[in-house]
Amino acid sequence: MIGRSRTVLAAAVLLLAAAGWRIADARPSGPAFDHDEHVGLFPGSCTTCHLGAAEEGSAIWPTAANCATCHDGTVEAVVEWAPPTSSPPTNLRFAHASHRRETRDSVPCATCHQPDGPRGAVTRGRAEDCVDCHEPGMPHLAATDRECARCHVPLAQAVALPEARIAAFPAPPSHDSAEFAFAGHGRLATASRGGRRPQPVSASCSTCHAREFCLLCHVNAPEVAAIQALAPDRRSLLLHAELEAPASHGAATFVTAHGGAADRAGAACATCHTQPSCTACHVAPAPGAVRALPMPGAGRAAGALVSRTPPVSHTAAFREGHGPDASSQPQACATCHVRTECLTCHRGGPSTGAEYHPAGFLTRHPAAAYSRQTSCADCHNTQQFCVTCHAQAGLGARNTLQAGPYHDAKGAFLVGHGQAARQSLESCVSCHVERDCTVCHSAQGGRRFNPHGPGFDAERLRRRNPEMCIACHGRAIPGMS
Amino acid sequence: MTALHRWSGLVGLLATAMVPLAGQGYRVRLDSRLESVAWRGVAEDSIPATDVIAQPDGGFLTPDGHAARCQGRTCFFYRAGAIQRGVPWVTRADLALWGLGVNGLSARVNVRLAHDLRGEEIVWPAAQPDLLLDEGYLEYARRSITVRAGRQFLLGRLGAYGLDGGRVVLRSSGGWEVGGYAGWGLARGIAVPVTDPALNPLDDFQPRDRQVVAGVEAGWNGSRVDVHAEYRREIDPAVDYFVSERASAALTLRPVSRIRLTSGGTYDLAFGQLGTADVALSWLGQRVAVTVGGRHYRPFFNLWTIWGAFSPVAYQAWHGAVDVTPMPSVTLHARGERYRFEDTETATPTVDVEDRGWRYTTGISWRATPRWTIDAGHQAEFGPGAAALGYDGRVTFRPTDALTVGAHAARLRRPLELRFNDATVTSYGVDASYRPEAGWRFDLSGSTYHEDRDRPDAAAISWDQVRLSARFSFLIGSSADRLPLPRAVRGARP
Repeated sequence: MIGRSRTVLAAAVLLLAAAGWRIADARPSGPAFDHDEHVGLFPGSCTTCHLGAAEEGSAIWPTAANCATCHDGTVEAVVEWAPPTSSPPTNLRFAHASHRRETRDSVPCATCHQPDGPRGAVTRGRAEDCVDCHEPGMPHLAATDRECARCHVPLAQAVALPEARIAAFPAPPSHDSAEFAFAGHGRLATASRGGRRPQPVSASCSTCHAREFCLLCHVNAPEVAAIQALAPDRRSLLLHAELEAPASHGAATFVTAHGGAADRAGAACATCHTQPSCTACHVAPAPGAVRALPMPGAGRAAGALVSRTPPVSHTAAFREGHGPDASSQPQACATCHVRTECLTCHRGGPSTGAEYHPAGFLTRHPAAAYSRQTSCADCHNTQQFCVTCHAQAGLGARNTLQAGPYHDAKGAFLVGHGQAARQSLESCVSCHVERDCTVCHSAQGGRRFNPHGPGFDAERLRRRNPEMCIACHGRAIPGMS
Repeated sequence: MTALHRWSGLVGLLATAMVPLAGQGYRVRLDSRLESVAWRGVAEDSIPATDVIAQPDGGFLTPDGHAARCQGRTCFFYRAGAIQRGVPWVTRADLALWGLGVNGLSARVNVRLAHDLRGEEIVWPAAQPDLLLDEGYLEYARRSITVRAGRQFLLGRLGAYGLDGGRVVLRSSGGWEVGGYAGWGLARGIAVPVTDPALNPLDDFQPRDRQVVAGVEAGWNGSRVDVHAEYRREIDPAVDYFVSERASAALTLRPVSRIRLTSGGTYDLAFGQLGTADVALSWLGQRVAVTVGGRHYRPFFNLWTIWGAFSPVAYQAWHGAVDVTPMPSVTLHARGERYRFEDTETATPTVDVEDRGWRYTTGISWRATPRWTIDAGHQAEFGPGAAALGYDGRVTFRPTDALTVGAHAARLRRPLELRFNDATVTSYGVDASYRPEAGWRFDLSGSTYHEDRDRPDAAAISWDQVRLSARFSFLIGSSADRLPLPRAVRGARP
């Protein structure tokens, strides 16, 4: 039996060694003690052997010599047993002797340690047993803040606690609420501030968490007293945390409407966002709400990663149709776009057309230009841009309308050009200058062909600028006194 | 000393003086592009009317087969000319300085330099003048007020408009904003005054003085409504007459989260006409976006030219667009529009010109793998003056996060209504873009165009060409937007 136990023990030791030599040190070495077999020797009292449970300063375990009193090879077989050389790693604040003293010896050992296992094995105390007395009816992980601190030391103080046990810390049910990841955990962390002994951070938080854990998300860690009150301990990063973006961030209008919310609740944004979160889109100089956010740095989280996502309104056709949006809400454009981006196209010069027009647009620009699919004049000075190029391509008129053979597909174009001219006059002026037309359409030196068409309000124009009338009519403007 | 020199000096002095101030931020963006292009030009020629050959359709051909147009005793035509070459090198520099000792004060400069490396007259449109100050202004911006002084552009319903002057915008916490601006205006579409020699085509209609411009604007931005209105007048100071007088309004409604209505328009007070106007209703889902709308287009001419008195007519259009993302890697889009011009009251039996048209485009973008993307599209349009029917495709490969290479091809059939110039253009191209780190970019591209011109005469000149371009740009700055974003992966050890 002993040999089998040794085999089991050796295997256990190997396993424990893998988990950490401190754990092995904290267990007694040797065969498991059979309390039932020895119950007659120590009737009714655990403290005969476990004196430390009754007297502060005494060892909780008996010594090997105590066993050898009987197991001397004569009275009983010799056993190789030794008490642990150190206390088990724990984050418990509990000490048997002081507990016994504070309870005035009213809590027998069996209240927590049940000798109902095989061979009278004594079970370890369970957290539920503690809570049964200290906060009856409350589940262990839902215990109030003061009860956590009553039994547990903060994680940072439990220096011997193995990482495997920290990583396996159970999450309290409070952490399951949808609201907990946002405002909820902050309220709980500061819940003890208003008590009789106000604390900057709840003891229940510090039981499992240290400052580094908060730094996973909190950009504003240096400004949050509760976080600063936590001791640093990188082992707290062993607890897995994954923060989803708030539901508000998923709204279709969030990209375009978050500015107002940021103005109203900038501090809330600063929980997760540093300036680079905003400047992924916001161009400098950034709005005040952005500048109020911290920059990433030591003691802060890096900040939520924001990818530059165009608003849903920026469809494939938006480039050619952005004018209505831009003119009604120009400030919104300036959020993500610098003026240079506007000028690159709207000051269309040489070699910049590719920014706006698709590849090969030059070859098909006549159709787009004739009907002004978009207004060429929004980006080009047609008197310079179009005329210069058309002239070099042989399309420019040279002072007289008749000289240009461009309209050769219409044999009598000259006498019937009025419709084409009124429909697409901008196309005409991409080759012609005024003088080409006043050859005929002028009352001064021309052939007096009337160019005025439907809706022409001569008096209205004369009031605005008679110079235009004078260009063709001289001072003898019809109807003008 | 030109205005450009004065502005450059002022900004340089300011930048130099302000550098030592603590807390200063800056951003410098330099974008330099070099392009090489060559194509065959044309040469205007003439021939005595007695030498041309009359055709059955009433037209004339020169003895060597060029279609000619005759006026009196002379007929004119174009024949193939010399090869036109250009190597334009264009650099755009953008500088922003802030933190100049006064919270909210910043300075912006945007300059463009253009030069043809062949040392000859640049054969590129809008390449003059060589040095162009697009913008250069001081700005004081706080939550409730923005003040700008200097050369700046106004971007809005009334178009992109430049002025040398000042602008003030006041904002309330309730979303209201009112403002005004005044100064000396620039020409449309280019940052030079209308008196600049670079605008030669204005010729004898070129104004003697720059126009004085003034405008007021007001708007309100709410969570569901954005509205903006503007009134602008330009005055010729030489005669105190209007150059233009226009007003605009813009409205965006977001009644529910995925629906958006945008509308607005301009009104030309000088001509008493509605200018451009549009309304569009969009449903913007995560996988499907649909837009339907209508628009009214009428070109705008100011009163420095006589073009407005030629009574250009407007057209009305109805359009729709659908973007569908059936799966995260695939995006489909389609757009279409029909339009019709108003009656010009000029119809003649001798010339029949189209007065309506339509256009549509369809396309697909497929991200086959995180590294490979394939795009394909089809476009067709038909209307007054020109038509087009084309296909294009592109393959993009991103072997690393920093490098992107691509190849594209397109084929286009392009008949013109008024000219014997039916042509089929086939183009191929390759390009590469290398971004070694944020803010740095190198691009190379090359493309060829091959044109089959379907002209019934000898003027079917080859327009084939090869274009090569290189681009280098960098962005440096002191602000947070220059820092690489840190990773923030929850649950991982930092």
